Amino acid sequence: MAETSPPTSCGSSPVVASPMGTPLRKVLNRISGLASSCRSKKGPRGRCRGIFHRDVEQEEFQYASAHCLSSYYSVFVARLAIMAMLAILIALLTVLTWHFTKMYTTKSLKTLAFGLRYELLQRPILRMWGILNSTSEITTAQVKLSEYVIRRYSKPTTQAEQVELYQMMKDMTWALFASRKALNAITISYKNGFVQAFHRDHKNNNTFYIYSDLANYSISGNESPGNKMMSMRQGWDDQFIQGNVSAIWYREPLDPISGEKTGKALPIPPDDVINIAGPSQVPDGVASWHVAVSKYTDSPLLSAALPVWDSSNRSIVAVVGVTTALFSVGQLMKELVEVHSGYIYLTSQEGYLLATSTNAPLLKNTTNGTKLMMAVDSEDRVIRMGAQWLQKAYGNKFPPGDVVHVEKANLGGQHYYIDSFFLNLKRLPMVSILVIGCVCILILTNGVSKEMKLRAELISHLNARRRAEASSNYKSQFLANMSHELRTPMAAVIGLLDILICDDHLTNEQYAMVTQIRKCSTALLRLLNNILDLSKVESGKLVFEEAEFNLGRELEGLVDMFSVQCINHNVETVLDLSDDIPKLVRGDSARVVQVFANLISNSIKFTTSGHIILRGWCENPIVCSDSGKFSPDQKKPLSALKTKLKHHGNHMKKASKRDKKIVLWFEVDDTGSGIDPSKWESVFESFEQADPSTTRTHGGTGLGLCIVRTLVNKMGGEIKVVKKNGPGTLIRLFLLLTTPADGTEHHGLMDFAKHSVAVILALHGSMGRLIMSKWLSRNGVPALEASEWNELTQILHELFHPRTRNCCFDDHYSRGEPLRSMIHSLQDMRNPVYIVLVDLGLLDLSTDIWKEQLNFLDKFSGRVKFAWMLNHDTSNAVKIELRRKGHVLMVNRPLYKAKMLHILEAVIKERHAEIHKRSPNGNKGGSHECLEIDSTHFETCSSDDSEISEKGGALHAGEQPREGTVKSNTANCHTPKNCLVELTRLGSEVNILRADEDECNAWPKLHDTEDAKCENSNSPEQHHVSSCTKDGDNSYTSKAASGEKSLEGLRILLAEDTPVLQRVATIMLEKMGATVIAVGDGLQAVDALNCELVGKEYRRDRMQTDICDFPPYDLILMDCQMPKMDGYEATKAIRKSEAGMGWHIPIVALTAHAMSSDEAKCLEVGMDAYLTKPIDYKFMVSTILSLTKRSA
Amino acid sequence: MEVGQMQRRLVDYTKTLFMEGFLDAQFLQLQQLQDESNPDFVVEVVSLFFDDSEKLLNDLSMALDQPNVDFKKVDAHVHQLKGSSSSIGAQRVKNACIAFRNFCEEQNIDATLRCLQQVKHEYYLVKNKLETLLRLEQQIVAAGGSIPTIEMGF
Repeated sequence: MAETSPPTSCGSSPVVASPMGTPLRKVLNRISGLASSCRSKKGPRGRCRGIFHRDVEQEEFQYASAHCLSSYYSVFVARLAIMAMLAILIALLTVLTWHFTKMYTTKSLKTLAFGLRYELLQRPILRMWGILNSTSEITTAQVKLSEYVIRRYSKPTTQAEQVELYQMMKDMTWALFASRKALNAITISYKNGFVQAFHRDHKNNNTFYIYSDLANYSISGNESPGNKMMSMRQGWDDQFIQGNVSAIWYREPLDPISGEKTGKALPIPPDDVINIAGPSQVPDGVASWHVAVSKYTDSPLLSAALPVWDSSNRSIVAVVGVTTALFSVGQLMKELVEVHSGYIYLTSQEGYLLATSTNAPLLKNTTNGTKLMMAVDSEDRVIRMGAQWLQKAYGNKFPPGDVVHVEKANLGGQHYYIDSFFLNLKRLPMVSILVIGCVCILILTNGVSKEMKLRAELISHLNARRRAEASSNYKSQFLANMSHELRTPMAAVIGLLDILICDDHLTNEQYAMVTQIRKCSTALLRLLNNILDLSKVESGKLVFEEAEFNLGRELEGLVDMFSVQCINHNVETVLDLSDDIPKLVRGDSARVVQVFANLISNSIKFTTSGHIILRGWCENPIVCSDSGKFSPDQKKPLSALKTKLKHHGNHMKKASKRDKKIVLWFEVDDTGSGIDPSKWESVFESFEQADPSTTRTHGGTGLGLCIVRTLVNKMGGEIKVVKKNGPGTLIRLFLLLTTPADGTEHHGLMDFAKHSVAVILALHGSMGRLIMSKWLSRNGVPALEASEWNELTQILHELFHPRTRNCCFDDHYSRGEPLRSMIHSLQDMRNPVYIVLVDLGLLDLSTDIWKEQLNFLDKFSGRVKFAWMLNHDTSNAVKIELRRKGHVLMVNRPLYKAKMLHILEAVIKERHAEIHKRSPNGNKGGSHECLEIDSTHFETCSSDDSEISEKGGALHAGEQPREGTVKSNTANCHTPKNCLVELTRLGSEVNILRADEDECNAWPKLHDTEDAKCENSNSPEQHHVSSCTKDGDNSYTSKAASGEKSLEGLRILLAEDTPVLQRVATIMLEKMGATVIAVGDGLQAVDALNCELVGKEYRRDRMQTDICDFPPYDLILMDCQMPKMDGYEATKAIRKSEAGMGWHIPIVALTAHAMSSDEAKCLEVGMDAYLTKPIDYKFMVSTILSLTKRSA
Repeated sequence: MEVGQMQRRLVDYTKTLFMEGFLDAQFLQLQQLQDESNPDFVVEVVSLFFDDSEKLLNDLSMALDQPNVDFKKVDAHVHQLKGSSSSIGAQRVKNACIAFRNFCEEQNIDATLRCLQQVKHEYYLVKNKLETLLRLEQQIVAAGGSIPTIEMGF
């Protein structure tokens, strides 16, 4: 657009812009260009008007460009704005992301660290709680029991009773004491000053019973005379003190488990060992707690005291004290710190250390006994400093929340976290726990960041997966939409090339080039189909159709097709199917053929000489044991594979019994370049080629084998490369196919032995010859082999002039001995029929010698029957000559069972005819004709087949009404003679036509199958004939192929909203003789149907006759997307209304998409078939016919 | 102009139309459907297509002018246009429609507007071409010649 701007406007900007950088100047240029183009917008318009009359097309273009100018302008501005906004957005996003990430990380780190510390602290606190609880529980229990016991002896009168009371108390207390191993001591001091206590020394694991001397106390202590005047409590205290002072205490060691006395009681000074809770500790009669020290333990003790009341609840009769060591709390703290590092300590409210996570002593020895140590005086540096820091920060007034968290407290040059919790114990001076962590947090930080990283990675993985899934979804969606759009242009390209090829004015070079393009486009189309197939399989959209088909015939067709390709390569294609393979199987024939087509074409690609064998047999123990067909080395891997398959096959076998499933084994064996064993698995991956360097020579995408494996697996089979003796590749696979109930029965093989037939195979390809002769021998037909002309003549001489030629024979041929014995055994046969199958390649066709050779063979014609094997490019002159000489049995390469059978049958039939001829009503000419019919007919059949299978392999599968074709083919084989006469006529016409074509064809001969096919379809007569044979048994459809009025008499309802399509479809259908009623939407379609029904009802009522009940329309063509009511809904409605009528109108969907998923949807709502837009004329006809025929 | 020359011109012109992708095989099928019983079939269908398309294009422009674009409606219109263009074989229009529908799914107003322009552009182009083609055919018929049939072996 900048070019159209006048130079003046551009001129000014560089001056301004020159100091700026070039990119900036460019932008300015662009903008100024834009501005000027806007100004010059009027210019072109004026000019436009001037040109207006000159050229309509140009005008149109100019108009469009002028029109576009303004839109470009606005679009540019919009783009600029969008770009700027985008930039800002991105920047913002980046900043925000960074910010949030940072914030989030820090925050989560903090929360995590806090959580951890909190949890750490919770645990010692819980332990603490546990200890306190158990202590108080014990105390309470002791008190309750004491109360009970003391009440029983409330008024002890005698000394004996008193003793009994104390004994009871002792037993009871021991029971409690023994039950709690954590207890340090239980003490009971009575009102009268008597003391009982159990003490456990945790250090050396001793248990003691401590008691005071009974003798000192009166029975009723509070009535002691010296203290009468005193208040109750006062007296008690005094007595207590007095008792303490005066009493003699004894300590006797006990067995820690049984409580039995183990040693002598020794007197000890009172209060020396343990603290006996006295009344002073229960000043107001409620429970009290305190922390004490003892010289036998190095940890503080927690003791609780509770009074025991008398029965009237008015006076205290005793005080119970329970002491627990805090040792275990310290132990727990140590364990915690070991794992997490840091420091934990527990202090009392006054600041005395009760437990720490360090080994620093908690008690200090002073002159007057052991004392608790203050936390601020702790020997551990960190604890000391922490305590000091806390004291400095809070003094003695701790914050009301009872929780302190400090981050980054500087203790001696290092940063610590400090957390402190306060535990309020009833009556126990407050205990606070502090944790100080440093390393612990560091470690935590590392852990957290690692976790964050992992989490981030996980999230990104999830994202990536989601994106991948989405993109794969997009892919299949894309393919769904594109499958049709891709094929159409390709079809157009190919069609146009066909037009071009038909053009007579092309020079030879041009023609060659166009042919090349045609070939390439076909290849491209095939590749396209491959990719689409693969993606279909991958997305699970591939649905196999289940139809009966003749497996043998399909494979024969395939081999026929490929052999054409192979002849140029000097490669022999051999089909070797064992006899037990059922004739008919159920499955998706197109896919089965595709598997083998891919495999064989792959083999051909890499095989330059030798052979390609397609073997097939049925999994069946009897079969495997039979037949020398498999050499031992081949059998071995087979059995190995089989055992491997056993586990897989177990359930499969069960299934196969129920569903009549059979396992068919196949091998594709070639003598090509082979595959490296390391690649045996990977060749089946997509886009994988065994040797990437061959891509250049062989081409290909590496999709073929991948498709094969996917298909095989979907058909319940497996495929793998198997080790092979000699060069080349051996690919073995098995398929799981169902056989129809009567499919397994053997097709009536003639008993050839009865007919005493012998065959001489004079063929080039050694592999095919070998296999064929083995098969013949198995079926009771002796066979001789010859690989060249001279050998054939030798055998003939030997057979018919044994005496004259005997001597030379031995000299010339080393293998003479077995051959001669064979020949002798043949000569022993009574009145044998010799069939000599001669490969035309044995004749020397380059010169005229072949005519001599023919004459030579003619000498034997009385005694032997000659059958000829032709090449697909055998010139017509040869064929005519052969025919002239009366050689009517001809088959095309390659030879396989069916062709051989055909030859044998023909010969035997002829022989019968000859026998009949001797009887009066025989007719030589008639039988001769019959033979000819058979052969030509056979040729057409096979070529027809190859065409189909080529299509099946290359083009989109399922587009061919395959089932019908196969059926008609097989039907043809057994049609009565009179029907065949007409066909013969057609067949010979074909031959003549072919001959004409061959002779006067100026074009270079095309050997490629594609071209052969194109050639086929280009000669209309031939096409006509082949379609005739295709639908041979059905005169109705054969008319259809000729294109006129095949839908005569059908009433078709067409629901289509697009007027154009409606019109087109109407005309198409009407042209074929159908009556079309067109409606615009689904609603109208339903109405039209109902209307018709009502009308019929009415008519029927009036006429009072029961008209035969049939639907008003023979078929409905239904567009899927329509206004008001779409095709799916309409179909549902129609099917619903049909329910009571007892008929089923076929509904064919018209869709714009070409994927199976649409098809599935169509079928789901009750439609019978679907056609894709734009409507293909032929395909529509065949679909309609197949549906209406079925209903008729 | 003599008839033969005109006939050759018609063939050439048709070929260029195929070559440039304006038309595809579907149009050939249309031509094959035309016979004595329907002598003006192609003209009829093509003019149907013109009417239909112009109506649809108008509807589309209106629908896209609304402040709140009803993409469902737009999509339905485009679908119809796609259907009719594919059935007469105007494949460039059809292709434009396909792109159009994709943007409809995305509900991208700018892109749909651009696509509308594109579709209109293609439509006018093919209309022009078809009119020229049909005029040529009429001239041939008027001059007493027959319209050469173009065979394509699909």
